[in-house]
Amino acid sequence: MRTTEIAIIGGGPAGLRAAISAASMGAKVTIIERNENLGGQLVKQTHMFFGSQKQYASTRGIDIAEILLKDLDKYKDRIEIMTNATVLSIFEDGVISIEQDDKYLKIKPQSVIVTTGASEKFLAFPNNDLPGIYGAGAVQTLMNVHGVAPGRSVVMVGAGNIGLIVSYQLMQAGIEVKAILDASPRIGGYLVHASKIRRMGIPILTSHTVKYAHGTDKLQKVTICQLDEKFQQIPGTERDIETDVLCISVGLSPLTELLWQAGCNMKYIPELGGHVPVRDKDLQTSIKGVYVAGDVAGVEEASSAMVEGRLAGLCAAKALGHATADFEELHNDCIEQLNSLRSGHVGEKIRKGLEQVAM
Amino acid sequence: MLEKTGVATEQDLARVTPSKERRAKGPVAVIECFQRIPCNPCQTACKTGAIKEFKDINDTPEIDHDACTGCGLCVSSCPGLSIVVVDETYSEEEALVKIPYEFLPLPEAGSFVTGLDREGKPVCRAKVVKVLNTKSMDRTPVVSLAVPKDMSMTVRFIKLNDYFSDNTIVCRCEELTMGELRELIRKGYNTVDEIKRISRAGMGPCQGRTCRQLIMQEIAAATGTKMADLTVSTYRPPVKPVKLGTIAGGEHGE
Ligand SMILES: Cc1cc2nc3c(=O)[nH]c(=O)nc-3n(C[C@H](O)[C@H](O)[C@H](O)COP(=O)(O)OP(=O)(O)OC[C@H]3O[C@@H](n4cnc5c(N)ncnc54)[C@H](O)[C@@H]3O)c2cc1C
Ligand code: SF4
Ligand code: SF4
Repeated sequence: MRTTEIAIIGGGPAGLRAAISAASMGAKVTIIERNENLGGQLVKQTHMFFGSQKQYASTRGIDIAEILLKDLDKYKDRIEIMTNATVLSIFEDGVISIEQDDKYLKIKPQSVIVTTGASEKFLAFPNNDLPGIYGAGAVQTLMNVHGVAPGRSVVMVGAGNIGLIVSYQLMQAGIEVKAILDASPRIGGYLVHASKIRRMGIPILTSHTVKYAHGTDKLQKVTICQLDEKFQQIPGTERDIETDVLCISVGLSPLTELLWQAGCNMKYIPELGGHVPVRDKDLQTSIKGVYVAGDVAGVEEASSAMVEGRLAGLCAAKALGHATADFEELHNDCIEQLNSLRSGHVGEKIRKGLEQVAM
Repeated sequence: MLEKTGVATEQDLARVTPSKERRAKGPVAVIECFQRIPCNPCQTACKTGAIKEFKDINDTPEIDHDACTGCGLCVSSCPGLSIVVVDETYSEEEALVKIPYEFLPLPEAGSFVTGLDREGKPVCRAKVVKVLNTKSMDRTPVVSLAVPKDMSMTVRFIKLNDYFSDNTIVCRCEELTMGELRELIRKGYNTVDEIKRISRAGMGPCQGRTCRQLIMQEIAAATGTKMADLTVSTYRPPVKPVKLGTIAGGEHGE
């Protein structure tokens, strides 16, 4: 059976940073990514990122992916990259099974860092299976990775950062965004994103939801309606909007199947997007040798995902005996960066969630 | 309220608007960023120290308008696109507003466009004075607009067609404006007949003699079709409006 020191499952920002930091400590690493390309969510992000310069603020997501890949290249003698390779399971003895290009294989690593990210939540309403109704992530992949327009006009559900950013990118691609709805009475995403969309004349309808989708073989129009403060539909407020695309962006939930299989202690924490693993300050779960970082550990941002990845990489390498003199310094730097990113008003929810999963 | 609508209120704006006296002295940055979020590129971009150092990355930017030179470095560095530079000394009647603009095609210097307010409502005609798009701006070009002076704190975005021509009447009989016509074409009404049916343009006393040509030109321009390839509207009899009774009365002398 193939072996490696550290297997990293998922090649997004968290996984790539974990690989770089573990390899820089001297560990032998294998990255396993189900897509053709590395980069995870970053390869779809054509907008400038927030955060501070340490986490590449003001740089576009796609360019951050390039920077990470360059760093990765510095340690190529120690990093093995498997793409088009989906991890199917982690067995209790630590063996990982993989499907790559229709072939089944197994690897036995000494430890694993799970960085599988998150998946999109969906909404229940009549006819939500009509062609033309997509998740925001799918729309972004269509547009920014494949260069295909999803349709002529879009109604967006969800005024969080993803809904707002994808709406802006749709406008940049020349597609008309007719309205952005959100069930909550407040805009959840950053207000600067909301304001830049409003300047283009796009309405943001808070306390609104989709009631019904119409169409025979594809979406033709949607009925929307207003909600009261208890999130109940207000009769008589229905109105129709003609559109061929409805884009749903109502949040993400951590992609944790592999952690359940590995037997990690899991907790339901709504602030972090759903079930997440309990972890110590080194990001090790309740199972020795199984680490987590990024959205799978709690839905947050690429900035924090990268710092968590770096932290998990450092700690996993150290646990296998790869110590460097500056370990403490690097370790503290990660902790400080994470604290600073989560210090504000927006990070309050995350802090509250993390308190409940600390081991 | 900003959190509900995404549009800054007058109170919000009052906190960040440079004083009249300061604006009268020359270009100055207006930072419309009101929420504590983990972000600071504006501060690191500012070389004059006008934007005070953040104690916490979540701080909202605090700017000393007197120290600001209006250099505009912060404008394209802001991922929230929430900074503009206004210069009320541009000319006797006009002010310059420099906005970040990440759309293609970029407007051309010298052309006229429509100035939009914070809700996207057309408010005035704006002349594109300059379009800056250097490598260091990293794909966030900055467009300088000359607008009427009293619009300097209102115009925050543009639409790439001329405000004046948008208000031009295309069909005098049914009072259809160029702006309305463009909106219809954008909605997918791509033939003279469709536009006629929805707007009644061409059904008035002149029977389309003034507007048919204009509508066709606009469809051609908007859809990138040659005039010759457009579907010609059906020329229904009669060629001039006649009272129904005239026809119902049968042929004279019958
Ligand atoms: C529209 C949008 C805008 C955003 N804007 C910002 C922003 O401005 N600033 C910011 O900091 N963050 C932003 N984010 C968030 C950021 O992209 C994510 O938080 C970040 O990508 C999380 O990184 P990750 O490595 O944990 O997960 P991901 O990037 O999701 O990567 C996970 C990877 O794991 C792979 N994978 C999953 N399961 C398996 C398996 N079983 N086997 C093999 N591979 C697997 C996936 O294919 C994927 O490549 C945005 C996100 C979106 C969607
Ligand atoms: S315009 Fe120039 S001087 Fe003024 S705040 Fe921006 S970067 Fe600083
Ligand atoms: S860069 Fe823009 S969004 Fe970020 S803090 Fe400065 S003004 Fe606000």
